[in-house]
Amino acid sequence: MNSAQIEIQLIASLVAIACAIPGTFLVLRKMAMISDAISHSILPGIVIGFFITHDLNSPLLIVLAALSGILTVVLVEYIQKTGLVKEDTAIGLVFPALFSVGVIMIAKNANDVHLDVDAVLLGELAFAPFDRLIINGMDVGPKSLWIIGVILLITLILLFAFFKELKVSTFDKGLATSLGFSPAIIHYGLMSVSSVTTVGAFDAVGAILVVALMIAPAAAAYLLTTDLKKMLMLSVCFGVFSAILGYWVAHWLDTSIAGSITTTLGLLFLMVYLFAPSKGIIAVMYREKQQRAEVSLITFLLHLQNHNEVEERHVNHLREHINWQKVRATKVLELAKKNNMIHIENDVVSLTEKGETFTSKAIDYIITNKDAQIEDMKDDFFLFRG
Amino acid sequence: MDLLEYIELVFTDYTLRTITLGTAILGAVTGMLGSFAVLRKQSLLGDAISHAALPGIAIAFLITGAKDTNTLLLGALVSGLIGTFWIRGIIKKTHLKSDTALGLILSLFFGFGMLLLTFIQKQPNANQAGLDKYLFGQAATLVESDVWLMTMVTGLCVIVLLLFWKEFKILLFDADYTKTLGFNTKTIDILITSFIVLAIVLGLQTVGVVLMSAMLLAPAAAARQWTNSLAKMVFLAAIFGAFSGVFGTAVSASQNNLSTGPVIVLVAAVFVIISFVFSPSRGLLFKQIRFIKNRRDLELNKTLAFMHQIAETHEDISHPHTIKILNNFQGYTKGTLQKLVDKGFVTLEGNMWSMTKKGYSTAANLYNQQTNDDE
Repeated sequence: MNSAQIEIQLIASLVAIACAIPGTFLVLRKMAMISDAISHSILPGIVIGFFITHDLNSPLLIVLAALSGILTVVLVEYIQKTGLVKEDTAIGLVFPALFSVGVIMIAKNANDVHLDVDAVLLGELAFAPFDRLIINGMDVGPKSLWIIGVILLITLILLFAFFKELKVSTFDKGLATSLGFSPAIIHYGLMSVSSVTTVGAFDAVGAILVVALMIAPAAAAYLLTTDLKKMLMLSVCFGVFSAILGYWVAHWLDTSIAGSITTTLGLLFLMVYLFAPSKGIIAVMYREKQQRAEVSLITFLLHLQNHNEVEERHVNHLREHINWQKVRATKVLELAKKNNMIHIENDVVSLTEKGETFTSKAIDYIITNKDAQIEDMKDDFFLFRG
Repeated sequence: MDLLEYIELVFTDYTLRTITLGTAILGAVTGMLGSFAVLRKQSLLGDAISHAALPGIAIAFLITGAKDTNTLLLGALVSGLIGTFWIRGIIKKTHLKSDTALGLILSLFFGFGMLLLTFIQKQPNANQAGLDKYLFGQAATLVESDVWLMTMVTGLCVIVLLLFWKEFKILLFDADYTKTLGFNTKTIDILITSFIVLAIVLGLQTVGVVLMSAMLLAPAAAARQWTNSLAKMVFLAAIFGAFSGVFGTAVSASQNNLSTGPVIVLVAAVFVIISFVFSPSRGLLFKQIRFIKNRRDLELNKTLAFMHQIAETHEDISHPHTIKILNNFQGYTKGTLQKLVDKGFVTLEGNMWSMTKKGYSTAANLYNQQTNDDE
């Protein structure tokens, strides 16, 4: 590994961390799409900054771009407040318009500007180490490393200083207001940090990867935990992991680093989406299937309890009475038998004592609308789940 | 170039005619379908789908090795649909919210698409150049067969819309009721979503991945301000979309170095701004005018009520009073007094005013809604 490679991985990791922190809050606040809007609408800010300074790495560029990011947020909120369209439509209207302005400005000045829309949107991490920051003739490292490092440092300081405020205002706006924190200040603070991070990172990794690095690690972490601190830690870990793995994939396939980091993130999210212990898709589908079977079981037991007549409880009759398919009927019968809730004599089904108690309790809970307690009760009664 | 010359050129010049027709048709179809997206609160779905279509284009190219527009768009359609259904899966089965799901699919698919595009660029295939035009779109690459394809899809879309109009409409406004009526909501939902995906994919070549969502939203958001009827909204959105296409093409053709996509989007944005401000019933301008008018009416009524209070204490209601006593009353201005005189509620004589019978009875009934003449 040569020093350029180490530097690229370092930059990618720092970007990942700097994105994961505001990203977690954006996901929790249901504002993930704002990051997409910001990432596009910083373009006019960058272009104007570039016209003034003719330097892609000047601080003025970052300031102007961050301002145009905040302008997006303000515009979106203004349009939303007029009540003419919904929030998502407002987002969808504002950022393409600003982005178009940026594209046209670039196109009109194409002759004397070395700025490419592709470069802004897609970035090229591989070139980052070549742009060095030189202080007093001494080479202190790539410029983007310093930029993103400073942004990360500010983000971390703000995070530790205002963690409590952020947490309260994210989960309970009313409480935050009544405790005297201004949700507006925290909101705009978060938006500013997101804008600055997006701007700082776009040069190195491109606007789209910024969005991916903000949302994907946070979303994956959100599927694994409901604890804010753990979620922050996890999303930082996911971000760094995919940044480094993504770099090596790109190295191996000889493709764009940003693209391969995003793809790694995508695969990571897919894995979590499928296999997360309680919220993953497989766990959810398994639980749904289990609950379907158990609801059928309760329906079946209730039917038994309601009918003392022998003909109503005949095995064959049940199938036509409750109108179940053969397979399902067999499954429910077996489940009930395994749990000692029924016994079958001469093809006539009747409830056992345990089945009686269970059914009575279940109907009690259903009538009183305490559905949640049925789950606890199932643990007490069931030997085998559905 | 003056206007007439340009219009003549639109009909004679092959490229210009194709592009104008193409963007107009595209604007019309996206406007139509966009109305549904906006009303279903799926505005950003368009953004997500257009980004999600990118890997499909790349994979279609990798498989066929040719740059045939139709196969590439087919690939885009497939990957757009996969993205859409994954978004729905995430929203339905996990506790992640729709914005997270949209952002995720958008960025992840786009990133994967970029990976594939850079991978293709390294391939020894001379054909690969120009695939990235799908990023920002290039209306100039439209040829007549593309326009035919668009026309066909638009026709199909209109037929389906007319056939299932009732179903689409009822699903839009009351999904639960639709279900209880026995409609298969899932099928209707998939049908309309698929058509939205189709429209987006069609537009990729012209306006590109990034700006496609605005084509979908802007005409619909503008049309929404003018009417409360779905049929009118869809119709208006189609017209707005088509005009954005035509004007956008005209503006970008008349200047050098202006790509068509962004100009069309900006023209559509102008439509939106005009609609937001000038729409008679919902627009900001008329809302403000109504607000001021209501405030004036209220002031007028307040003055009248105050006068009524004073007049009440006298046996003769037209007993004259000095204007001075009105002075420290908030609702009173010279203008309101003059208005009251004009309406015949009050008569003025020098520094004195006196209430007329009409004014007295109006004031007495101000708050019990017996009078209906104060707009």
